[in-house]
Amino acid sequence: MNTKTLLYIGKRVLLAIFTVWVVITVTFFVMHAVPGGPFVGEKATTPAVQAAMEAKYGLDKPIMEQYGTYLKDIVTKFDFGPSLKQRGRQVIDIIFDGMKTSLKLGLIAAALSAIFGIVLGAIAALRRNKLVDRIIMVITTAFVSMPSFIMGSLLLALFAIKLRALPANGSTPEGLILPIITLALYPMAYITRLTRSSMLDVLGQDYIRTARAKGVSGPRIIFGHAMKNSLIPVLTYFGPMLAYIVTGSLVVEQIFAVPGIGRLFVSSITNRDYPMIMGTTIILAALIVIMNLVTDILYKVVDPRITFE
Amino acid sequence: MKTKKIAAIVLALAMVIGLAACGAKTTTSDVKSISVCLASEPDTIDPALNSAVDGATLLAHLFSGLAKWSQTADGKLEIVPDAAEALTEGVQNADGTVTYTYKLRDGLKWSDGKDVTAGDFVFAWQRAASTDLAADYGYMFEIVDGYSEIWETDDNDNYVNPDAKLNAKAVDNKTIEVTIENAVSYWDELLAFPVYFPVREDVVANEGWATDPSTYVCNGLYTMKSWDHSSLITLEKNANHPDADEVTMDTIKFYLSDDANNQLSNFKNGEWALIDDVPTNEIASLKKDYPDEFFNVGQIGTYYVCWNVNENILPADSGLTGVEAENAKAEIRKAVSLLLDRNYIIDEIAQGGQLPASSFVAMGLTDADGATEFYKNTGFSDKFVGYFDTSADALSANFDSAMATLKKYYKFDEASGKFTNFPAMTYLYNTNESHKAIGEYIQSALAGVGINMAMENQEWATFLNTRKSGDYSIARNGWLADYNDPISFLDMWISGSGNNDIQYGRGAHQNVKAYSLDLTGLGYDIKVENGTWAETYDVLISTIKSCTDKDVRYKMMHIAEDMLMSTGCITPIYYYTDLYMIDSSVKGFFSNPLGYKYFMYCTYEK
Repeated sequence: MNTKTLLYIGKRVLLAIFTVWVVITVTFFVMHAVPGGPFVGEKATTPAVQAAMEAKYGLDKPIMEQYGTYLKDIVTKFDFGPSLKQRGRQVIDIIFDGMKTSLKLGLIAAALSAIFGIVLGAIAALRRNKLVDRIIMVITTAFVSMPSFIMGSLLLALFAIKLRALPANGSTPEGLILPIITLALYPMAYITRLTRSSMLDVLGQDYIRTARAKGVSGPRIIFGHAMKNSLIPVLTYFGPMLAYIVTGSLVVEQIFAVPGIGRLFVSSITNRDYPMIMGTTIILAALIVIMNLVTDILYKVVDPRITFE
Repeated sequence: MKTKKIAAIVLALAMVIGLAACGAKTTTSDVKSISVCLASEPDTIDPALNSAVDGATLLAHLFSGLAKWSQTADGKLEIVPDAAEALTEGVQNADGTVTYTYKLRDGLKWSDGKDVTAGDFVFAWQRAASTDLAADYGYMFEIVDGYSEIWETDDNDNYVNPDAKLNAKAVDNKTIEVTIENAVSYWDELLAFPVYFPVREDVVANEGWATDPSTYVCNGLYTMKSWDHSSLITLEKNANHPDADEVTMDTIKFYLSDDANNQLSNFKNGEWALIDDVPTNEIASLKKDYPDEFFNVGQIGTYYVCWNVNENILPADSGLTGVEAENAKAEIRKAVSLLLDRNYIIDEIAQGGQLPASSFVAMGLTDADGATEFYKNTGFSDKFVGYFDTSADALSANFDSAMATLKKYYKFDEASGKFTNFPAMTYLYNTNESHKAIGEYIQSALAGVGINMAMENQEWATFLNTRKSGDYSIARNGWLADYNDPISFLDMWISGSGNNDIQYGRGAHQNVKAYSLDLTGLGYDIKVENGTWAETYDVLISTIKSCTDKDVRYKMMHIAEDMLMSTGCITPIYYYTDLYMIDSSVKGFFSNPLGYKYFMYCTYEK
């Protein structure tokens, strides 16, 4: 790696930190500006109880002071504070619990979608306009256009209720099978189409024609020559998709009752659980920023023509 | 080669069958494990801090308080002694307070093996009522002598008596003595309420004690075996409990999900034997398809529409002011209430088998005799129950009388059959399909006579805030009581109450002298004519709270509800019911009017 590359990465890391700081700051102030507080319930507690709770969690202090303390605790101690709703638990522990499940779910789904997507895409490109290609295209079009809540509900109705072959809740390992499939189908279909079109593009290039002229076999052209170059668009998609699949699986988590981070995120907002909102937002934002950064760096690895400016 | 192929096919078949068997329903009666789902991750299962129904259900399995809910052989619910040898009668003191003495049973142990002592109970109560803990349900100790001293504040909101304690003490290791301010019928019920359950000082010293099975020390029929956060809580029978022999279910798995659709999927698929929520739009078909498994039981709560008492609903040129304006508004609000068809709301919208409400104090709460229901003795007519007739037959008569009233105040256009100068109102509700549908029905019913009502929805926490601060004209509302005493519906409407969404005695209403109170016939020297809300209703509630004569007390509670309903600010819609589905092969299950569910005595039968 040359200095130019290092410089670029350094710049991007600084920018990433800045982005996360902006997210923290905006979330913090918007969150406090929204009406309703963490200790408001259908049944009102007395003002004295409210005041006691606010004092306990430092919510009675001026907002700038709360902001300062919060930033300091995160930077110096990586301390996100206690949850205001799940009393007695630390935000970081709750997020960690949710992350474990979401990561497992997301990574497996992402890996499945990449493997099947690339293979199917390559097959479709090789058998262009043949029956196999048509079938793959029809199926992937269906998967791409079907929202995950419909896909999830269909799978649930078929495998969990009709066939009773798989559990309908994600609290056991078997229970994660359906949510993983639901999560994987959309990106898999997308990657298939992406791989197909970019591979067709590559297959039209001069060097492929040269290879063909030299008598290289079909599969060798695909996997030995075309594959690497046709994966660049897939990579562009894969990085942000990975972040999305890990963080944005709320709908799937809801349908299958998976104890992941998506559910935590939404419930923390309805509960006005300030430290939880901050914690989940920061972690999710950081994840997306990091994934984007990694993707950009990977470009360079895959395609030496790209230079960092 | 061929044998390999056959082996592969056999294996594949075995796997498919094995998979299919995973979801199969249990048919044998020797199954001692039940899987249920009440709600998502509980906020807390510290008995003092919990204020949720699902948390209370868990706590009822994990702890033994002095008393507990129990079901008799013929299906009736009663409060029976649990950790106490007996629920003794109290002894009345000279100052009207009542002292109770309870003896603990032998053999009560904490789940870590130590003895349960009287001191543990007293400690738990002092903790739950303390300003340090500031528990949501700390006010459940309001009746106990000493509570008001603990929470007394000066003008700067500082506590006046930092050393004050509840009047409760451990006479010895097995004897508890507690004094309450006056005799109330619901005292025994309070003892069965989770906030009264014992905890041990050294256990709760660890602030996170109630979040992990390894630190969760309890004294009930079950212990916590595991807790996968947001996923599953597993309880296991506590063999050391003196009543362990009566427990038939060895393991209870509480799955954590708040998604009604997901709960239903798991019920249909046979994994969960009980679910506490069902999707609203499925209710009609579920009732039909699962007649033996769909349940709908009374709950002590009322769904209602509340009017902001300070909102002007009179026409701009009415010229009415002060008391006259207030009385006119009350009359108008009551008339608007009569325009609604509650049976339509229940049958077509809510669909949960609720009952039409014609009073604020819900069905299920008993009157002074402890048997007849309080709501059946309300109102002023013998022909129907409550303050107006909710039957389908009365619909047109109600409509006519409402129109007659409204015509006194508003311009009516005979040609269109509509009022032309009713000020526009906004109906506030929290984002939810069912609330929205009910709001839309009200909107259309009122639009039919020319009353225009816009709809505004807000997200839950924002909604609560807006409604509490009185920043609305009409809003959806609902109230579920914590114990079987009408005061739990009535004391929330005093001027200073945090639940006074209607804003009685606040803002302009503070100075409206439109109310009268006469308690001289009940032996009190209280008679107010044309007084403010604070001079009448607030006084009435504090008199009720200090009253020791049961009959007089209930009479005063009827007077209080009469006062509330006379303002027209409460438009009752229906009495709540608790919907749940339970596998028909499960026997021995019961739930109480507060919605707590009991699984310890369940068995599977076919």
